[in-house]
Amino acid sequence: MSVEISAPMPGSIVGILVKVGDEVKENDELITLEAMKMENPIFAPSDGMVKEIRVKEKDSVEAGQLLIVME
Amino acid sequence: MNRPVFLKYWHVPERLCSVAFRRWSRSFSCVSTPVISEAGSGGGHYIGRIEGMTNQEKLDLLKEKAKKVEAGGGEKAIAKLHASGRLTARERLALLFDEGSFVELYKFVEHRCTNFGMGTKESPGEGVVTGYGTVNGRTVFSYAQDFGVMGGSLGEMHATKIVKCLEQATKTGCPVVGMNDSGGARIHEGIDALAGYGKIFYKNTMASGVIPQICAIMGPSAGGAVYSPALMDFVYMVKKDYSQMFITGPVVVKSVTGEEVSAVELGGAITHNQKSGNSHFVADSDEDCIGQIKQLLSYLPSSHNERPPVIACDDPVDRREEKLNTIVPESSKRPYDMKKLIRMVVDNGEIYESQALFATNMITCFARMDGSTVGIIANQPLSMAGCLDIDASDKAARFIRCCDCFNVPLLTFVDVPGYLPGINQEFGGIIRHGAKLLYAYPEATVPKITIVTRKAYGGAYLGMCNNEAGADMVIAWPTAEIAVMGADGAADIIFRTESADVKQQMKDEYIEEFATPYRAASHALIEQVIEPRETRPTIISALKMLENKEEERPYKKHGNIPL
Repeated sequence: MSVEISAPMPGSIVGILVKVGDEVKENDELITLEAMKMENPIFAPSDGMVKEIRVKEKDSVEAGQLLIVME
Repeated sequence: MNRPVFLKYWHVPERLCSVAFRRWSRSFSCVSTPVISEAGSGGGHYIGRIEGMTNQEKLDLLKEKAKKVEAGGGEKAIAKLHASGRLTARERLALLFDEGSFVELYKFVEHRCTNFGMGTKESPGEGVVTGYGTVNGRTVFSYAQDFGVMGGSLGEMHATKIVKCLEQATKTGCPVVGMNDSGGARIHEGIDALAGYGKIFYKNTMASGVIPQICAIMGPSAGGAVYSPALMDFVYMVKKDYSQMFITGPVVVKSVTGEEVSAVELGGAITHNQKSGNSHFVADSDEDCIGQIKQLLSYLPSSHNERPPVIACDDPVDRREEKLNTIVPESSKRPYDMKKLIRMVVDNGEIYESQALFATNMITCFARMDGSTVGIIANQPLSMAGCLDIDASDKAARFIRCCDCFNVPLLTFVDVPGYLPGINQEFGGIIRHGAKLLYAYPEATVPKITIVTRKAYGGAYLGMCNNEAGADMVIAWPTAEIAVMGADGAADIIFRTESADVKQQMKDEYIEEFATPYRAASHALIEQVIEPRETRPTIISALKMLENKEEERPYKKHGNIPL
């Protein structure tokens, strides 16, 4: 089953800490989203594998925009 | 306008001793043994002939009738409930109350309906078990709906039992715990069933702010049935398929909007704890749920006339936590876990979080300081930068008002960058929802202590119990940045016509001047600046100092909080 991870609020991507195919554990930081002048970590909601990364660094994203698909 | 007069039952001043009261008290002298006369006539119910029976037969009759009610819907119905993973109403009550303390009331209540074949239909206990008992030695009232008896459906007399339970709990100043497991209104009874819900809502409203009202959704709860829980202080749901809450179920949703959704997705424990915020706590099972309710009760007083219970504290009051000095990262852009920080400060690191999965940018929890309950409200930098938004404001404001009702002092931990910008927030009414916070803090008269760990910017700081919002004590860490707005934004506005180099220099100066606690301290806008490791002893000392705080409010019927 795939898990979709979306941006919790609008901001810009300042760091992508994983690549497609990486195995990640729950609460690992996947992406850093700068918003509200803070570097907000986006964590893995569960253990799994990174299947797709839908953004690149410096992208501006909207709230709810899909960032990563995990499996 | 007369102020309401509250009377303790043992003390009635002579001037208030009305004619009616004197008549009422005299009536005791003429009470005689109740007379039981003709019986066994109405509505197809068997009441039992009393005349002509020996005393032994009368005793046997009582036992027989009690046994029948206690059997609920019978073995088959109970087996079915167990198979679905849930406990029966009586099993739930047995878990809640101290052993042997439960006293059942209104055991022999029966329905009065004769429509649609109901005249001959029995409903042992009317599908709900009510009474009182002790929970860790303190009196608590409870009602538990019995799904095994006519699906726990709510009719006129079922509602009457709950209403009387709420009345007695309110009158005696005892918490009430409702355990809901009901198929909904007993439609055979028509408008009488509907009126039953209405009466319960009315009593819930009357009890609000007087006694803690706790509700556990331990079965389906649909339509009108959801509004009694919603009117109560805390709602529990069980992470099982049977725990559901919705106004209209999946079938109606599909027929009206075409949306397909399962009952659990629409109104299960996770939905209401994560998405809607209708539920405050989630439990793994019935047993876990009841255990958690007992834990919650331990933090709360029995009524608004009492203070919360104080327990012995084995965590040193002067414990200085060195790790607090380094918990805030060097870069003010990096987040840290506010929950971890709170745990380092409170007794034994124990917190009991309300709405833990909802609006996670705001933390609301109970904890103890030197054995006394405190209600904690805190921004969580780890979630959405700890900003304020509609849900966070709504969640915190409700929690603040609940603590204030029940004399629980408020601790507010502040690290707030501002309000979340966005069309959705503005269209969704962040102005009025955010105003709930601005209202709830000044309205509260309990001791209010605020700890500023880092960012305290602009309007968002005004929403986090600063001095002007009525905080009795604002304590800042040296890492605090108490300012009207962030340095970057402010410098951009003030020095917008300057060159980039000058701008940067001005920005640095601005940060030095304003991104500290000392400007606020020099204007007496905060009480103390402390080393973070001193936080626990400082708060405990402040709570002790504020113990007998009194704060007057002008008399009014009630305020008009922006809802």
